[in-house]
Amino acid sequence: MNNAVTLSETRLKLRKLFLKSEPVRGYTLLSPTLLAMIFGLAMPLVVLFTLSFWLQEYLDFIRTFSLANYLEFFQKPIYVKVLLKSIRISGMVTIATVLLAYPMAYFIAFRVKSNKLIWLILITVPFWTSYLLRVFAWKIMLGYNGVINSGLKSLGFLTEPLAFLLYNPTSVVITLAHAWAAFAILPIYVSLEKIDRSLLEAGRDLGESAWMTFLRVTLPLSLPGVIAASLLVFIPTVGDYVTPSLVGGPRGIMIGNLIQSMFGQSQNWPMGAAISVMSMFTVAAMIGLFLWGTHSYRKRVA
Amino acid sequence: MNKDQLTEKLATGKMTRRQFNKALASLGATMVMMPMGSRMALGASEDHPTVMTWEGWEIPELHGDYIAKHGESPNIAIFADEEEAFAKMRAGFKVDITQPCTYKIPMWYDAGILQPIDTSRLSNWPDITPSLKTIPGTVYDGKQYFIPTDWGQTSVLYRPDLAPEYVDNETWGILWDPKYKGRLSMSDSLVDGVMVAAIYSGAENPFDMTDAEMAKTRAALKEQLPLIRFYWDSPTEVEQALASGELVAGTTWNDSYATMKSEGHNVAYMSPKEGAMTWVCGFCIMTDHDPAKIDKIYDYIDAYMSVETGVYEITEYGYGHGNAKAFEQVDPQTLAALGFTSSNPDDMLGSGIFQVAMANEPALQAMFDEVKAGY
Repeated sequence: MNNAVTLSETRLKLRKLFLKSEPVRGYTLLSPTLLAMIFGLAMPLVVLFTLSFWLQEYLDFIRTFSLANYLEFFQKPIYVKVLLKSIRISGMVTIATVLLAYPMAYFIAFRVKSNKLIWLILITVPFWTSYLLRVFAWKIMLGYNGVINSGLKSLGFLTEPLAFLLYNPTSVVITLAHAWAAFAILPIYVSLEKIDRSLLEAGRDLGESAWMTFLRVTLPLSLPGVIAASLLVFIPTVGDYVTPSLVGGPRGIMIGNLIQSMFGQSQNWPMGAAISVMSMFTVAAMIGLFLWGTHSYRKRVA
Repeated sequence: MNKDQLTEKLATGKMTRRQFNKALASLGATMVMMPMGSRMALGASEDHPTVMTWEGWEIPELHGDYIAKHGESPNIAIFADEEEAFAKMRAGFKVDITQPCTYKIPMWYDAGILQPIDTSRLSNWPDITPSLKTIPGTVYDGKQYFIPTDWGQTSVLYRPDLAPEYVDNETWGILWDPKYKGRLSMSDSLVDGVMVAAIYSGAENPFDMTDAEMAKTRAALKEQLPLIRFYWDSPTEVEQALASGELVAGTTWNDSYATMKSEGHNVAYMSPKEGAMTWVCGFCIMTDHDPAKIDKIYDYIDAYMSVETGVYEITEYGYGHGNAKAFEQVDPQTLAALGFTSSNPDDMLGSGIFQVAMANEPALQAMFDEVKAGY
């Protein structure tokens, strides 16, 4: 009896506290996501960061703090060079993807009048298959006896298959640009869809050409979508290692392949962790630069 | 299903099972890179042990006795090379049996992941070729840590119609011939790739090189890089490219030769004048195997060691088998057609450069990565 009273009293107190304190309510509401973020994101990052300051000796880790991995990163030319190359390739992929995605998103947002959903679903159809299958599909498209080569051959344009289509950085760019297309089309489409159509009419009424209206009204207003698309494509493709190892050929290696080699064949997890950390910092810096650039552009046109 | 039928079925579509498996393996490797603790293998039920092996070595024909006794195949996981397998196991992937090659056993033994094997529980053990039982680095303190099951060669598979001048001059040097720029391939591995460059550059002992020899090997790899179409991960890649004429020559194992020959392609398998590489692979039981499955673990190993498996492996894959009696069941003409100069592994293994543990693997891998990055 007595116990029951105290129990319900404590519960009441807790309830009061819960209702009164905004932070407590907030964190409770957040807790599932927060826990997932802590265990799935923050802790692995801490592990990676710690690992990068250790050293590998044959099969064991030397668990004393050391900057040797980072020194090696800057002393040996390979790491910085491959990182820069990955950024260059990803940059090309991002530009290609956004340039190809924009007209597609524009078409759906402005030209398609009915059944927009069907169009959006059609765009995602190629993405119902696995990422790897799409990479393999490009291998078949670009291959020595692939679709492009045998097509051109049967049309009589070629006698010998073109060997340069596959196994080089260009094929990596083509493959990645296709593999990530949906991630660019959808955010751009959303931002275009949100644009108030009367603004465009106003632009035309005030005597701007269609092209200038696009440049001065549509493009700046759709920039949030373009920025989101660029980030969504750029960030994951820098670290991609499956695509370069499948279609990149002997010289196609990117930073992801080096990290994979460190965790695999080279058996040097701490070095792999250090490369990952450096790669993350570089990508973060690039994104900061990019956001700063687009911010100042938007201020200028606004 | 017969291996050749399978190849034929998939020959029309370019996506082969092997490529597909390889792709899945890459994805799996990405998954285990994340520290997630142990992961169950996909596939059969939980009562069966998990076997991690090479692509193509998991097919039911190679463990018929096990299926006869237990009704189905065990759980299978595929690796592209032992380094991948090792990285997965270190990341927490629990397997009961693996099938690496002898050059990896010392390192795996040092890592403490190998369990001594009780050979008295294997009915086929007495029939195993004696010299294979005592390969250096596989026996510690008189205990067997490795059951030899398969042996074969790493050499150059090439198109004699496209490179006729090499028919009477078989050499690893074809992989450095500028005439075939962009039409050559090499295995993307240390033991089957970088070691080829070491042999070509004249290292006295490719598996334990001096600094000067390392430098020469690096120079050879650099010289070769512009000539390479791709470094291969899956034998199917190189087989298809040779069939279409995209490649003139590439390093392969015997099974690629057997497969392509049976499909009627015009290919030849070299006996390079510098010597082909030879290897022996077989079973290890892992220390973190499930003790409740130990009987099935021995049953699986014993099934693979049987004469029936041996005959299938010799005739379909062109590999040697650990069971000496298997050779007696195959007629000499078939053996000769598959490139066996002798049914005694001692003759074949002794004639080549036997793959042993490589000294300073991390340095070799770093060198290979640097060459691929342009250094």
